[in-house]
Formats: sequence, structure tokens, C-alpha cells
Amino acid sequence: MTYVVTEACIKCKYMDCVEVCPVDCFYEGENMLVIHPDECIDCGVCEPECPAEAIKPDSELGLEQWLTRNAEYAKKWPNIATKGIPPRDAATWDGVPSKFPEHFSEQPGSSHNESKPRAA
Amino acid sequence: MTTALPSRSERRAQIVQTVVEKTGVDEDMVRRVVHAFYAKVRLDPHIGPIFARVIGQDWDPHLVKMCDFWSSVMLMSGRYKGNPMVAHLRLKSVRPDHFERWLELFRQTASEICPPEAAVAFVMRADNIASSLQLAMFYRPAERLQANSAQHGVT
Repeated sequence: MTYVVTEACIKCKYMDCVEVCPVDCFYEGENMLVIHPDECIDCGVCEPECPAEAIKPDSELGLEQWLTRNAEYAKKWPNIATKGIPPRDAATWDGVPSKFPEHFSEQPGSSHNESKPRAA
Repeated sequence: MTTALPSRSERRAQIVQTVVEKTGVDEDMVRRVVHAFYAKVRLDPHIGPIFARVIGQDWDPHLVKMCDFWSSVMLMSGRYKGNPMVAHLRLKSVRPDHFERWLELFRQTASEICPPEAAVAFVMRADNIASSLQLAMFYRPAERLQANSAQHGVT
């Protein structure tokens, strides 16, 4: 069990989740975050915290693709331990459906946070 | 006219307020649960010795850390920052039955100290966290597949 960040985060990237996560398991892409499934302890604190309602438990049906993407990009992107500045137009992307095909960026994020050493 | 979104501190205050109103959990309850729970753990013949080996004489800082952890989990205080997954993966002598005992003692403590709604909230978090740590420590792909299938009603 883990929580996963889903499509609703794309271009919203509020990052409130980062502040409450006790285990710093978020990783930062250019326009969204993901959760490292091997580091998340399933405490659930981040879920209600997300203004975009982008964070879901992986027990919800239909999230397999997002679980795979979270696992993949958590290995490619830098860890984020401190909230950065959300995009200026975050609110205009909040609730926009089907953002992944056109708007997802594979590029790593750059809030210049201290990254933690990766788990062995 | 557009209504301004609440700020994140307002949002968080609302979320915590809801938790407090629904369950009665507060910082003092977190502290009492943590201290009573680890008092049981230390005396327990099954899991006490494991903690004695790992914590040694350093119980005071461990209790502070655990109060921070549970405050972060129950009241979103963000006070704890750590990597419990890595800490547990180092414990090679821990088995699934140790987790069962840990949970049993946690449930006992929560029901002794908290009103029912708060006990349920504590135990739900503890169950999820324990499952997650166990998946990492005792991961067996076939069992995980079975568990997922059962959960999703797939045979």
C-alpha cells in the first residue's frame, strides 16, 4: 500500500503535501510531484492536504498506471523536502481533466531543495 | 465575483479542526498514548527485548521522536521528519509476529486512553503504517499479487 499522485497535480503542483509528509517521500518533476512507493508509509496525511485532490490511495481502482508512473519518476526526479513556489497559474489548471497527454513534463523539477540520500 | 481560495495555513487549520472535533485527538492525547504504549512495549516479553537492543538507554529521545511522529500523523504538525522505512529495513531479526504484537499493544493502549473515535483513528493509522513497513520488510511478490487480487475482487 502506498499513496500515489495522480493527473490532477499536473501544472497545479501546490506542494502542500511536502510540508506534512513525515517521511519526505515526494519527488519533484517540472510540473508535478510523485510519491516514491517504497518510501511512503501509508500514513495518509497528505491526502486531505492536497488542494487539487490529486493524491489517492493505491487501493483505489484504476490507478495502476499512476502507481507505475510514481515509481518510475520517483527514481528519476530529485527529492523535495520543502515546499517551493507553486506555478502562478496553478488555480487555472485546478480541475482541468485529462492533463497527462498534453501537459505532463518528464523533466525534473528545480525548487532547489536539499535532497536526502536515497534509501539503499 | 470569485471567492478567494483559503490559504494553505487556513486549509490545514480546517483539516486539523475537523480531526479534533470528530475524534478529540490533541497533542496531550498523542503524548499520553505514546508514553503508555512504549511503557507496555518495554515490559513485553515478546517485543520488549528487540526495542531494548535497538534503543538501549536512549528512551527519552526516542519518546520525543515518537511523539513528534504521531503528532505529524494525527494532527499534521509536520514535526517529525525521518525515514522509518530505512530504520526498519535494518532490523533483520524482526518478524511478522512482532508486528502483530506491536499492533495488539497499540490497540490496547488506544482503547485504554482514548475515546472510541480517537482510538479508531489511531489504530487505523497504525494498521496502515505497520502493513506498509511489513510489505517493505517481508515483501513476497506472489502474496502481494494475491492480496491485491482479493482486495479488488479479482479471482
